[in-house]
Formats: sequence, structure tokens, C-alpha cells
Amino acid sequence: MAVTSTPPATSARPKSQAQLIYEQYQRSQRQFTLGVAASWGLLLVLLFFLFSGVQFSLGPLAIRTIRLDGEFMRTWLPDISRGIWQTIQISALSILFATLMALLAALGRLSRVAPIYALSTFYVSLIRGTPLYLQVIFFFLALPQLGIILPGLWAGVLALGLNYGAYMSEIFRAGILSVSKGQREAAIALGMTPGQTMRRIILPQALRFAIPPTGNEFIAMLKDSALVSATGFVQEIMWRAVHAGRANFRNLEALLIAAAFYWVMTLLFTGVQGQLERYMARGDR
Amino acid sequence: MTPIVRISNLDKYFGRLHVLKNVSAEVQPQEVVCLIGRSGSGKSTLLRCINFLEEPSAGTIEVDGLAVPAGVRGKAHNQMVHNIRIRTGMVFQEFNLFPHLSVIENIVEAPVTVKKLPKEQAIEIGEKFLSKVGLTHKRDEYPNRLSGGQKQRVAIARALTMEPKVMLFDEPTSALDPELTGEVLDVMKKLAAEGTTMLVVTHEMGFAREVCSRVLYMEEGELIEEGPPETMFTTPVDARTRQFLDRVL
Repeated sequence: MAVTSTPPATSARPKSQAQLIYEQYQRSQRQFTLGVAASWGLLLVLLFFLFSGVQFSLGPLAIRTIRLDGEFMRTWLPDISRGIWQTIQISALSILFATLMALLAALGRLSRVAPIYALSTFYVSLIRGTPLYLQVIFFFLALPQLGIILPGLWAGVLALGLNYGAYMSEIFRAGILSVSKGQREAAIALGMTPGQTMRRIILPQALRFAIPPTGNEFIAMLKDSALVSATGFVQEIMWRAVHAGRANFRNLEALLIAAAFYWVMTLLFTGVQGQLERYMARGDR
Repeated sequence: MTPIVRISNLDKYFGRLHVLKNVSAEVQPQEVVCLIGRSGSGKSTLLRCINFLEEPSAGTIEVDGLAVPAGVRGKAHNQMVHNIRIRTGMVFQEFNLFPHLSVIENIVEAPVTVKKLPKEQAIEIGEKFLSKVGLTHKRDEYPNRLSGGQKQRVAIARALTMEPKVMLFDEPTSALDPELTGEVLDVMKKLAAEGTTMLVVTHEMGFAREVCSRVLYMEEGELIEEGPPETMFTTPVDARTRQFLDRVL
């Protein structure tokens, strides 16, 4: 369908083929998005229905859903919600510490000095070769035997930070390696020392690359911070849920509340993360 | 007159590959020397050996009277290499501007961190050279907003702001669209006319013919022939030089 030079601003102007194809594409995109949203809504309704406690019979079929103790949930929801702050606090502190460890480990891994390289790979290997759960318990229970008693929060931050730092060192290493060789050469040709080159030219570019994946690690950390509850010293969401559930024999209700908090937090921070990624990507254009 | 650059009996191996074979050459003050030859002939490697981006395997590099022998390690050697690097400006084929810094920040980075110049003074010198390459109006842009030719002109200004004794150009127009090579070559011509000492690896035979005071021809890691452009391009002595020039001219 050829479009010849029609005068502009006529309302009955025929649409070009490209425009028609584009509109068709947009329509199918909209339909898909709408379909996904509707299905999500339906699944949510189903999930709520499953725990609604409703009982009825459909002919020969007796339908019984799970009945929750609403009284308990109303009473304990505010208490468990007070753990949100603790969870965010321990996650944020741990990710900060992990970032520092990851950066050091990544630099060590790229070093040509044997002991430094060895220290870095040793740390990463040791941490990745043992369970996170063991590490968390270790800092709370094993260290006091040696006379080292850390405040609950700090022991948790130490364990989670060391663990995530080992895994995140790969992110930072990839970030540093993503900076082209020419950048290093240009800096060196200008007379910059290896240290100046790393600090002023390579790292600023590498960190830009590493920020979005670090956001993802933070979201994972929000959930792994629940492991700290096992020690009983940090009153974050999980600890409060287990505590309240056990005391009242209402574990189902308590854990559902905790799960809901974690899920909502994850959704919120995933949204923030998406914005961050879009913002970072914009700078490249 | 002492030469600005003196390369003596240089050898370079990449593993077992012998890429530079006993090369000796000099660049005198205010000379513009063009290094020509096929891809893989070793001309870029030779250039990169001068500021030790490639560590030569044997021989000596001398820049502005500072002689650094190859094959040495240690603090004293690193210090000498550093002294050579701050006396040589380098322009790369791929520009290698720092993408996280604006044009003026790219230019003053090394004067401030390496030469420890006060920032105002570095900016003053930087702006002078930015105007020399005709890009004063791009002072605060980021490199990704510039065309290839503009990027290369900023890279030239960045190298000049260190006020080096010699400028090394490594195929400065090879990564550019043909219509953008002119603006870069014009800047280089201007520098040559002002007496900047330059060593240029290039495939631009027109530039070599018009601007260079001397042309060196390399093949398979050896310096085959050298001479002023008028004789090199018309009556080369060596058969290999003749064969190469017949193909490219």
C-alpha cells in the first residue's frame, strides 16, 4: 500500500502499512499484558480462597478450605511487622560489608602478587565450600567458645557479609574485566600508575557495571537474612514469626504472615531495582 | 643534535613469534616521521615499545636523553619507564577516551593526578589545546556524544595537555569513517606545521607524502628502508618497498 503525498492534517488520512503492522503489534502486546495481569489476579484470589476457611458442598463434592486463626493473626501481625526494620537493617549492613569484601576479593583475584591472589581465592573457596547456614551458626555459637562474643546483629552481618562477598566477588571481577584494555593503556600511556589507573579509570566504570547485579544480591539477602533467626539473637521477621507461632501453636498463621512480608518486600525492591537498571542503562545511550 | 627518540637494536618476541628484528631508528626534534608497511609488519608494536606499552625483549629505548634498556625489572626500571611515559603523548586507533569523564575532565585527568598541577592551571592548559583541535564548544560533553573524528581530536588534546616531547600516533584515522579522517589529519598537519615532534604509524599515504619529513618502511619486523617522502614515494631503492608502494599508491 503506497502512501503518496497527501496534504497534512487531514483526519481521514489512510494509515500506512507500517503503522497498521505496528498497531497490530501493540494490540497483541496489550492483550498479553492484560492476560498476565488477570491471571495473576485469579491466582491471588485462589490463594486467598485456599486459606479462607470457607466450607460448602457442590453436589456430592464437599469443599473445605484451610481455616486460619484470625484472632491470632490480628494480635501478632503488629509484633511480626516490627521485624521488618531489623530485616532491612541487617540486609543493608550485610550487603555493604559484602560489597567491600567482594571488591577486595576481586582485586586480589586480579593481582599478580602470589600471596594476595592466594588469599583471595582461599577466602572465596572456603566460603563457597561451606553452607551459609553453618557459617551463620558458627559466628553465634562457635566464636563464643573462643571467648569472642559479638553482638547478635554484628555476628549476623559478619556471617552474611562474608558469605555474599565471596559470591559477589565474581560480579566485581566481571565488572573490572568488562572495562576495555584500551582504557588501561590510555591511562598508563598518560603516565598514571597502576593504582591511579585502577582507582580513577577502571573502578568507576566497573562499579557502574556492578550496581544492578548488587541490587539483585540485596533482594536475595533480604530472604537469606532469615537464617539469622536460627541463632535467636536478632529479632527480625523470621525470628518473631517462629517465636509467636511456637508459643501459641499457631505456626501456620505466623509463617504465612512472615511469608507475606518477605514477598511484598521482594516485590517492592524488585520494582526499585528495575527503575535503577533502566536509569543506569539510559546513561549508555 | 640529540634525537628526541632513539631506538637501538630493538627486538620483540610475542612468545616464539619474532615481531621486531634488530630495529634501530631515530626521531629528531621537530621531525614528523611516518611509519608505513603492511598490517602485521610490526609498526604498531614498534610504536608501543617506545612508551613500554609493550615491553621490548632486547635493545634500548631512549626518549629525550633518558635511555631505558629492555629486559630489566624492578622499581628503578619502573621509574624510568614512568619518566618516558610522561614525555611521550600517545594517540590510539580506538581513541580510548574515558567514557565516565567529560571532555575537559578527560583532558585534565593526567596533568592533575600525574603531574600534580593545580586544577585551574590544568584546565587553562587543557582549554588551550581543546581550542587548538577546534572543540572548545564540546568542553562539557561526554565522549559518547561525540563523533569519531571529534573523539580523536579530544584524544589528541588530552595527550598534548601533558606537554610531551614527542607525540606517538598509532593509526589515528583507521577507525574513522572516511568522511571524518580529514578533520583529524588537518589537526595533525597543524601540529606538524607548529614544530611538534611526531611519529605516526599510518596507512594514509597522502598524509605521509604531504606532511612527513621522513618515511620509514617496515616489513616482517624489519626496517627495510627510510628516506624523505619525495624519494621514498618516487624512487624507492629496495624491491620490497617498491612492491608495497605499487600496491597502495
